[in-house]
Order: sequence, then C-alpha cells, then structure tokens
Amino acid sequence: MDPRKRPDLSDKAGFQMLGRGRGLQPVEMTVGRSRGLLLSTEGLGLGRARGFLPPGDIPPGRGVLPPSTAPGRGLLVHPDEVGVGRARGLLLPSAEPKVGVSRGAVLPRLGQQYEQKHMLEMPPGSAGDTAAPRGEEVSAPPCGQGSTLVSMFRGMGVTSWGRGTPAVGRESGHDGEVKVQDFPVGLATAMQGAGHRGDSMGRGSSLSAQMIVGLGRAALPQLGMGRGQALLSSLPSGQIKPVCPTSDPQRTPLSPPHPEGGLKVVPMTQDLPVPLSSALPKKEMTMESVCSPINKAGTKGTPITIGSNHIVVSCKNEAVYQYHVTFTPNVESMTMRFGMMKDHRSTTGEVVAFDGSILYLPVKLKDEVLLKSSRRTDNQEIEIKIKMTKILPPNCDLCIPFYNVVFRRVMKIIGLKQVARNHYDPESAVVLEKQRLQVWPGYATAIKHTDGGLYLSVEVTHKVLQNDSVLDLMNMLYKQSKENFQDVCTKELVGAIVITRYNNRTYRIDSIEWNKSPNDSFTLMNGTKTTFLEYYSKNYGITIKEMNQPLLLHRPKERSKPGGKQIITGEILLVPELSFLTGIPEKMRKDMRAMKELTSHINVSSEQHTNSIKQLLKNISSSPESVKELSRWGLEIGSEILIVQGRTLPLETICLQTSCFATGTDVSWSREVVRDASINSVPLNIWAIFYPSRCADQAEELVSTFKKVAGPIGLRMARPIRVELRDERTETYVKSIHSHLTSEPNLQLVVCIMVGNRDDLYIAIKKLCCVKSPIPSQAINIRTISQQMKLKSVAQKILLQVNSKLGGELWTVNIPLKNLMVVGVDVHHDTSKSHQSVMGFVASVNSSLTRWYSRVTFQTPTEELIHGFRVCLLAALQKYHEINHNLPEKIVVYRDGVSDGQLKMVEQYEIPQLIKCFETFPSYEPKLVFIVVQKRISTNLYSWTSNNFGTPSPGTVLDHTLTQKDWVDFYLMAHPIRQGCGLPTHYIALYNTANLSPDHLQRLTFKMCHLYWNWPGVIRVPAPCKYAHKLAFLSGQYLHSEPAIQLSDKLFFL
Amino acid sequence: MNPIFTPSLHSQRHQFVVDFVRKNKPRKVADLGCGECRLLKQLKFQRSIELLVGVDINGAKIKKNMLRLAPLSTDYLQPTFDQLHIDLYQGSVTQRDARLTGFDLVTSIELIEHLILPDLELFSSVVFGYMRPANVIISTPNSEFNKLFPGLTGFRHSDHKFEWNRSEFRSWALKVCLDYGYEAEFTGVGEAPQELQESVGFCSQIGVFRRMNVLPNRFEEEVFFYTLVYSVNYPTLCDNNTFIEVLLSEVVYRAEQMKNSWMEKTTGGTNWGLPHSQTEQQKRSACTERLDCPGGGEELTESLWTTKQEESGTLNRFVVVPLAALCSFCPKIAELSGSLSNLRRLLMDQPQVKLSQDGFSLLVKCEEQEPEQIDSDEEEDEEDAPAVQCSHQTEPEEDWEANI
Repeated sequence: MDPRKRPDLSDKAGFQMLGRGRGLQPVEMTVGRSRGLLLSTEGLGLGRARGFLPPGDIPPGRGVLPPSTAPGRGLLVHPDEVGVGRARGLLLPSAEPKVGVSRGAVLPRLGQQYEQKHMLEMPPGSAGDTAAPRGEEVSAPPCGQGSTLVSMFRGMGVTSWGRGTPAVGRESGHDGEVKVQDFPVGLATAMQGAGHRGDSMGRGSSLSAQMIVGLGRAALPQLGMGRGQALLSSLPSGQIKPVCPTSDPQRTPLSPPHPEGGLKVVPMTQDLPVPLSSALPKKEMTMESVCSPINKAGTKGTPITIGSNHIVVSCKNEAVYQYHVTFTPNVESMTMRFGMMKDHRSTTGEVVAFDGSILYLPVKLKDEVLLKSSRRTDNQEIEIKIKMTKILPPNCDLCIPFYNVVFRRVMKIIGLKQVARNHYDPESAVVLEKQRLQVWPGYATAIKHTDGGLYLSVEVTHKVLQNDSVLDLMNMLYKQSKENFQDVCTKELVGAIVITRYNNRTYRIDSIEWNKSPNDSFTLMNGTKTTFLEYYSKNYGITIKEMNQPLLLHRPKERSKPGGKQIITGEILLVPELSFLTGIPEKMRKDMRAMKELTSHINVSSEQHTNSIKQLLKNISSSPESVKELSRWGLEIGSEILIVQGRTLPLETICLQTSCFATGTDVSWSREVVRDASINSVPLNIWAIFYPSRCADQAEELVSTFKKVAGPIGLRMARPIRVELRDERTETYVKSIHSHLTSEPNLQLVVCIMVGNRDDLYIAIKKLCCVKSPIPSQAINIRTISQQMKLKSVAQKILLQVNSKLGGELWTVNIPLKNLMVVGVDVHHDTSKSHQSVMGFVASVNSSLTRWYSRVTFQTPTEELIHGFRVCLLAALQKYHEINHNLPEKIVVYRDGVSDGQLKMVEQYEIPQLIKCFETFPSYEPKLVFIVVQKRISTNLYSWTSNNFGTPSPGTVLDHTLTQKDWVDFYLMAHPIRQGCGLPTHYIALYNTANLSPDHLQRLTFKMCHLYWNWPGVIRVPAPCKYAHKLAFLSGQYLHSEPAIQLSDKLFFL
Repeated sequence: MNPIFTPSLHSQRHQFVVDFVRKNKPRKVADLGCGECRLLKQLKFQRSIELLVGVDINGAKIKKNMLRLAPLSTDYLQPTFDQLHIDLYQGSVTQRDARLTGFDLVTSIELIEHLILPDLELFSSVVFGYMRPANVIISTPNSEFNKLFPGLTGFRHSDHKFEWNRSEFRSWALKVCLDYGYEAEFTGVGEAPQELQESVGFCSQIGVFRRMNVLPNRFEEEVFFYTLVYSVNYPTLCDNNTFIEVLLSEVVYRAEQMKNSWMEKTTGGTNWGLPHSQTEQQKRSACTERLDCPGGGEELTESLWTTKQEESGTLNRFVVVPLAALCSFCPKIAELSGSLSNLRRLLMDQPQVKLSQDGFSLLVKCEEQEPEQIDSDEEEDEEDAPAVQCSHQTEPEEDWEANI
C-alpha cells in the first residue's frame, strides 16, 4: 500500500474509540484459524491497528471455512459511509465447502486502482447490499480465481479503511463471554454502523451487542484472514446462508440470527476441526513484482540529447524486507516501542526503519522472530513478535521515505545546514549589504522513483535570509510609521516565514500578539510554568534584551505524530528578537534594481547549475562517512548527471488576419504582430483618457502615437474624450471616471495615466471598472510613456492589449481538433490568509480558440473548489452553445495549482463531479481530457551538446525516464530561456476519454502556450492557464470580489 | 522506573551541570562518556564556553549523534564575539590524551559505575592526575535509594559494575582528593520523599571536586590515544573574515541609508521617479531618524556633501559620509570597530568601499536614477504598470520564484 495513505487512516477520529477490544481469545474463536488473529491476542486497539495496518499489502489472502457448517460464503465489504456512494460487496457462492487458500500475486498500486474500478462496475444485485466485518474478510474462492479476487478484495479493503468506517463483523469468544463493558464507545459507534447497514440490508436488528462488539475488533491482523462469518441477507443466491458464529448456546439468544428471505442460519460450533494457520499450506514469500509502465512516449519532433538534474541511484541490496511487529501485551507508547526495538539491535542489526509497528530491514530474518522485553514502567514482560510480511524490491515506493531520511543525513554529514526542507551552505553565503540580505546557496534533494527507476533529484536552490531579527525590522517600521505601526507591522510580517535563533525550525507567522511580552509565562510539557525570558536564558543561555516586544504567533497545522497518536495542536509563540525572516521582503520585490542584483545571484545558468550538482556529488563521494551511510541500505549515488534522449516539438505557425508565419527559434513574433492586422479588431469609437494635469503632454503624445500605429494593426480608433484631472488623488480619478461613465453610456474604454506605482489608485480604478461599472480599462504608468524613443513600440503594445480587453482577437495557431473547448483553471491563494482563495476559470468558446469566456469564484476555506468549478463550466458550456449553437465534443481542461498529493483527490472526486455536470444537457456526453499543470517542480532540463550543458531550445519535451509511474505525463519546456536554467512544466493527463495520443497531448499543449496575447511569444504554461492566473490574481489581490458578469466574454483582466 | 522524577532524572543531572557552568563560567569543558551528546547540546548554548569536548568509548554512538552539535543556521546570521569550538573524541577514560589537559571543568555523568575497579583506579589517575581540570563533576547512582524502586533487584542497569551508597562514594572521593590535591563537596539530584530524604539521600549522588593547587607542569611526553571523530568551529566575530564581512555589511548599508535620506532632503526627492506616497514616507522617516539619533543628529545632514571625481573618463558624483557621522548614526559600527581610527584602518583595504583622501570619510556613489534601459520588446505587460513591477523581467514567468 502506498505509505502516503497511512496518515489518512490514522487521522480519523472515529476509530480510536473502537480501539479497546479486549478479552477476546482469538485462538479459540470459532473460526479462529486465521493467523492474523494470533497476532492480536490481546486487545490491540483498533485505532492503533489502523495506524499501521496496510491491508492492501498482504500478499496472499486466505480465508477458510469449516466444511460442515458453512455451505455458502461471501466476501463482503460493507458500504462506505462517506457518501461516495459506493456500496460494494462481492458474493462468492461455493458449492463445496472446503478449506481453501487463495493466493494472490501482489500487484503494486496500479493493480489496486484497477480493482477498485472493477468493483464499481459490479451489478447492484450482487454488490452493495451486503455488509462484511471488514475488508479482509475473505472466504476462500473455490477455484483458481483466487488471485484476482483476493487482490480485488484488497483494493477495497484499502478504501474502506481510508474512509474510517466502523468495522462490523462477528466473532465469539470461546467461553461466550464477551465483555461489553469494555467497549462503551466502540459499541455505540459500531451500533451506528450496524444501523446504517441495517437500512440497506434490512437486518440490523439481528445484530446483537456482542456481535457488534466483536466486530469492532476485526481489524487487527496484518494477515488478512477471514474471521467471523459473513453476515448476509437478501442476497440473490439461495446458497448463501448467514452463519452465526456463536459457539456457546448461552449466547445464541443474545445474537439471534434472523432468517430472512429464505436464508438459513447455521450456528457454528467451536470444536470444529479447524486447522490453525500452521496447518495451512505454507506460502512462499516472493518478491513484489513491478508492473510495466504505461505507454506515454510520443514520437513527433526532432530527437535531441538533453540532461536533467537527476542522478541514478543504484541499489546494491537484493531486497528490503518488511516485517510486522506486534507487542503482547500491547504497548501503547511509541517511544517505548522504539526503545524496546532498540534493545534488540543484536537481532535486527543496526540498520532499521521502524514506525512503531512496521519494520523495514535490509536483512532477512527468520519468518517469525519472538523477542522479549520488559516494560520499564511496570516490569511487565512484553513479547515482541517480528513477522515478515513482504519482500520488497529495493526500489520499492515504500522504501523511498526512509531512503530520503538517509539522504538528509548525508547532506548534514557533508556540512550543509537544513532550513525548512532544504540544505544550504552558509559559509558560501553572498551578502547583499544594501538590502541586509544573505543569499545561501544550497540544494533541494529528493530520492524519487520514476519510470526510469530510482533517481536522486537535485535542485540548486538559494535561501534568502534577512540579516536582521524581526525585532530590528519592527523597530525600523516603527520609525517609519508610528501612527499605524501595528497595521503596517501586521501587513509586513503575517505570512512570513521565520527561522529561530535556538533551533533549526522554521515557522510561519500567523499573527502578532501585541498584548504579550517575553515576561509572559507559558506552560512547559511537564506542567511547570515559566516566562519566555527565563526559558531562553535557562535552556539556551540567551538573554532577551528588549522586554517591550510583542510575540509572534504560529498555529501549527494539525497533524499527528508517527503512529497516529498525539495530535499536535495549540499555538507556538515566538520572540521577535530571536527570530529571523526568510525569503525576499515584499518591499524589495518592487525595487527593480535590488531584484536585479538578487536574481543575478539566484538565477544561475545551466552551466553553474550543473557545476553545483557535480560539486555536491563530489562532496558526497569524497566523504567516506556519507558513502557508508548510504551503503547501509545498499544505496549508491551515481557520479554523472542524467543524460537522456528528448525531443524538440515542431515549430508552430502563427496566423494573423491574412498573414501566417512560422515562428523562429526565438519563438517571438513581436515585430510581425504590429506590422499586420490582427484577426479581429473592435473599432474604438468612444473612449476616454484620464490624466493629471502634469501629464498632459505625455497624454497628448500617446494619443497621437496611437493614431499612427493603430492602422497597421487593423484597429480603427476615434479621438478620445480627454479628461485632465486637477490633482492626483484617488478620489479625483474615481469621481471623474464615474461621472463620465454615467454621462456617456456607450463608452468602450477607460484609459488612465497615473504617476508612480500607486496600488491604492490602481485598486480603486479596477474596482470601479471591473465591478461597479463594468467597462474595459487600461492603466498606464507615466514612466512607461515618458521616453520618446520607445513610445512607438509601447503604444503598439498598449493597443494590442486594449484590443484583447475589448474582445478583439489577435492571433491563433492551427489546432486540428473540431468542436473543441479548452479550459484553463488556476487558483490564487492569499499569502496572509486574510482573504479567500480565488479560482480563475477561462474557457474558449469558438473553434479558433480566440474567444474566451471567464469566470471567478471565491472559495471559503471549508468549501471544495469543485463547486465553483461546476458552476463555471456550466456557464461556459451555455456560452459556447449560444455562440456555436452546439456543445463542444471535446473538452480539454488545463488545471493549474494541484500538488502531487492532490492528484488522487482530483482524479477520484473532482473529475467525476465535472462529468456529472454534462448531465445538465440532454444526452450530452463529450470527451474529456483533464491535464494537471505543475509549474513548481524540481526537474530541470539542460541541453547537452559537445560535452557542455546549456539551455534547451523551446519546445523540448521529455516523456520517459523521469515521468511518474502511475500517470500519462510529460515535461514540456515551451518557452525560451533568457536567464537561469531550463525549468519545464510538468503535465499530467489524469483523464483522457478523447483518447488523445501522447503526441497529440504534447503538441496541443505546446500550441496552447502560443496563445497568450499579452506576450508575442511562447510562454511557460498553456494560455488559458495564464489567463486564469491573471484573472484570479486580479480578483484576489485587487478586487476582492467577483468581476461583473458583463465582462465575462472579454479578456478584461489582461 | 518508579518513582518517576519530574523533570526526569537525567535532565536533572544535566541541569545540575548547566547550573554549575552558569555560575562558574568555565571556558573549557569536557564531558567524559558523552554518549548521545545530550549534555553537550545543552552546554553549547552556554556563552562562557569556548572549547567543548566530548569523549566516549563508543565511536558509532558519537557519530550517530554528533550532528546535533553542528551550528544552527541562524548562528551564521548574526555572529557575536563569542567563540565556540567543539571536538568529539572516541577514546577510553582509562587512557591519557594530551588534548584533554588544561580544562576548567570535566564532567563524568553516570560513568564510573560502568567501570570495573581497576579501570576506576586508572580513571582517577587520568582525570585527577593527568587532565587535572580545575573542577570535576562526577555523578553515580546512590544504592541506598534503590529500595524505593519496587521490584528492583540487583543494579539499576545490567552493565553497572557497582552501585555505591553514600559513604562508599564519599570515601572513594576523599581518597582521590587526598591523592591528587582536590577538595570535594557532595550533593545529588532526584529527591526522595520528604520523610526519607535523610535516610536514603538523592537518587543520583554527585561529587563536585575543586583543584586545590596548580602543580607545576610536569614534562611528560604528549600522548594522543583518542581519535578525533568530529570537530566544528562556530562562526564568530573573532574570525577576521567574518568580522570584516559583518562590519562591511553594516557600513555599506548605513552609509547608503544616510546618503539616501540626505539626498532626499536636499533634492526634495522629486526627480527620483519614486511614487509620492513612498517619498513622503521616506522623508518622514528621515526626520525621525534625526530625532532618534542623539548627538550625531543635527550635524549629520550638514556634514554630508557631494563631490565629483573624474574616473576613467566618466564623471562620478559621490556623497561624502564622514566616518564619525556614520558611527554616531549606527552605534553598532562604533561598537564593532572600537575607535574611529580603527574603523578607518579596517576599511582602508576593502574594495567594496571607497574612502576619501584623508580616509576619514566614506564616498558613496550617487547612482543616477536614470530609467533602466530596457528593450521594451522583451517585456510583458509593461503598460499595466502597477500589475507588473519587475519590468526588467524578460520572461513572462517569474522564474526565480520557483528557485527560492
């Protein structure tokens, strides 16, 4: 099972309640032939069990039924409670009762996926109405179906666990005494669960308390053995008979099995000659197999040799062995478990990865190892059982997390300092004196498992740190603005990341506690109270000098410690004097000169980039300690930067109104686009220009230049209404614009000339023109039009931009797909978290992809993005229909802003919801392609010619080796690189019913990168994504509300 | 173990050492049997310590934990004059090593009970006879306390070779004192319940030894039995390079600040192409800075002037910032450099700064704020100025963002 899933499981609150199953004697259970039961001899909490239990991992599923009593059996999975609405169950009628063992070849994750889908398609007659104790309830299939069934079953097991449904099953203690009182909470939950199930099965009443209780426990064993009996009702097959597990006659009344629908109940007796696990044919553990990759390679274009910032990692070990560790009696404390395992290093060896219950070793132990430790708190003797569960290939995904731990240590050994997740070298820091900044060179490294195998990805990064403490910064801000100091301070600091003096941690500032000071006290873990002053002095020898400073507050994300135990909550207070800001200060971002200096340090060329990587590799290989550390797990880092075969996609042809031209190698067409007429220009008959009186000359100059350059572009333009403002106050602008909008209802465009970067004025104008009185608007900084020399080209660009804003069409490329709609989606998050996130949505509504429909939705933190998404898509489809009188046959969605961890969620939740949206239209089933666009990735591409690394040319695509195993994906570097090194964009096709081939996906994407009208060249992402980004940014950053719907058919936000 | 101590017993022992260090401020401290380096990690925050050494027989254990002692990232941001060097050795306390001599404090926490008696003899002679630190702190279990652990039979740990009661420890300690010229005080951590404190004493007994006399240097052969496993220097201003770097960064930054506020005052700041609100803000800040700058305030603005120098054919304007004004403007510079002449001497050879002929003023170049020469063809969105601030950006995507 995917290790990433584990936190999911353990996060659910419900199961912990179920957790205290106790007093059951599994060995003696009626159907107690499962080895899994042995593991759980004494009340392993269900909660804990879920924390570590990877149900999907059990290679051979086995279920056994006693011959005499169970003529029918079922493999049952109870319905999910979450509302995804996939009730499923699988019924396996069997004519001959027998003890069966089914063994499944273990398929990695992919297999599971498939199986889940498979389940979904089960007809409701046999699926959905049944409930099973738990996912692992496997009855032996009679014939050779075994492997599929078991693995299918496993797939489901995974899902049902993930959803945190209470497990229901039945079992009986041999003495018939089940301690109900031990499960006060668990009982309630289970009852609920049973009730729920009861609805669907019509049989809830038959579950007795004891049964339910027993069920709660069903979750334990690592080996998913069938336990208890299937509880069936209203199943179509007459062969199926619910089996009452009760052995003790006393208990029978307590758990009265109700024969319903002709079902017969056969009470089971305990003394059945059921062989214990030892009697089962012993399975041979075999190495997990790796499935073959999906075909995702294209062929179009020119092959080229490229490099990437990856280094081959080879595994010298034959395998990694996975063991399950159980403590009997149960040991709750993780620390204690770690401690006990530590005492047995003589058995396990020094090299271990242990999370509290799953143990990975590079060595093979006996199948089952029994150890003894004594619990230090009460001297209770604890039996530790280490049981091998899996033999993993050394490049298995499950191993990646601890390989990364090992590698992080290597980075420390070679002397790098960790800040947040990356490692830096402060000794090679570059100091930017004027900005009070230090730039630390460093690396972001990760070991990844891609289609090509195991790789170390090395990103050359830089950390920007401020020389001054937060307190120094506060003092500076105070000097600058005494009156609204707190506001200024909050604005500057909230959202910033600080690093502290006394540990290596980073914290995000969530707010400032003005009423607190270092003299305030807080409670330590052990319950004693101390002031911040004392605490830092005592523990770190730090004397806080300034008593009169507020404290910074950090609210940690809720997360659980390994093992799913304590949830870290509460707030962390930091002392400004002891905190340093990291990252580029907001103020500096606006300072071009400073940014230029900074980028000259951090935008390194491919050559510098590769040299840094080589240096790192050298440092590692020349440090015996590092090499040894890696070899503990049999890892060996290659010495060369990865060289692979990529392709350069064919150049595209840009079409204007009448002329067409092929793009050059610089993929820029800034000259052509101002020489020839755009596809469609909106005549500008009535427009107004607003300017302060001191800009009168420039305004006049601009208008006359407009007149000169408008002709070639194909834009007809009347003389504007000129409005000279008496001052430069925001209010003056707004009032004047507003009065002209009212007096001239046919006004098409508002142009404002403003002096300096005035955010307040810009916001006011945009709010007025985008929300209150919708009209396309263009703001122009006086500086950009002050130079005579450049005025012509500036005016040309402004006109192109204005034409786009008015709904004109500039250029296009040929896309050989008919009835196509391309959608771009991006999300803007406010850094200070004080505003809502905004989703920008842009969809093409004509065949040449030159008309765009745009919408925005604001998300509340609890709301899923998909709700807004659906509304937008529906509106776009309606608009498409309005224009074309039909609906698009193919819809390609480019979705930006999805991280790797969210892919599954998007695939399983977002996409189905989108598809559902098509039902709004009668018999409408368009083909959908859903492509996730990832800009912030760690993969770099270099060109590799004559033994030199450089920047690859635009259109370079890589669709193998570094691609991800589970998806059809590719890296495309569409844009030309002028500075820094080649950072491609990663595209993942999550869904593709249009069956676009890899070639088509790649080329369509490349074509879409040509269509951003604010830039006569190729950009990094498909144009609709960039439009969506611009729109979301404008709405989230400046408007703080949805733009007026009247503007939705224009690119007003450019 | 029961009773459980709060805070835990081992942290109480460590706290005892830390408190001792805070009180006596030793400069060179060694921890024998440093194990997981926990005590060292606490001690490294004690500013008085300049040399911190750990010794353990288990080299693997040291290696595993040594990285805890590496400098923190922030140690590089604002280095102080405090110095710290940490060395970790793999070696046995029964062997001599010349690098362990001359210490102010040697601690040996819960170590001696792991030694067999002949080794303990060697230990005494190595620590008290050879290393001869000014102070020694030795802690060991007090066996009298064991009866308070229910169910405990034998020793507290299977590797213990002995566990002494209070008088046994005392008699050993006094013999050591007699042999090597130390005096000892006895205390402990981990208190028994009130009524039993008298009869059983502390859970861990501690002896604090003080050297009575400094013996003349015996000319012994220098022996090196320990293997150096880890060695690290903390960034400090005592390091000349670091010092110059910090000083320069301060000088350049402050001089630039002074220049800017002076320029704004004299030229009114209008031709800077800065937005109005910002300029006003800066003007205001210039005023407040003057008020906040005692002494140097008023003459500050008067003492700046411009000068022109011909340099390789081009005329450069400089603002002259007297070092004295700089020192009064920024006390940190004064503090770092000590005196004006020292500052002058320090800055003299630095290529990053330009001094006037007499060397008592800093020449800060006036960079004309001529608009950037940008090829507008390579710009995106430049018209929509407020939306895009970095108009020099040639590529639409802000590449550098992804790299940070």
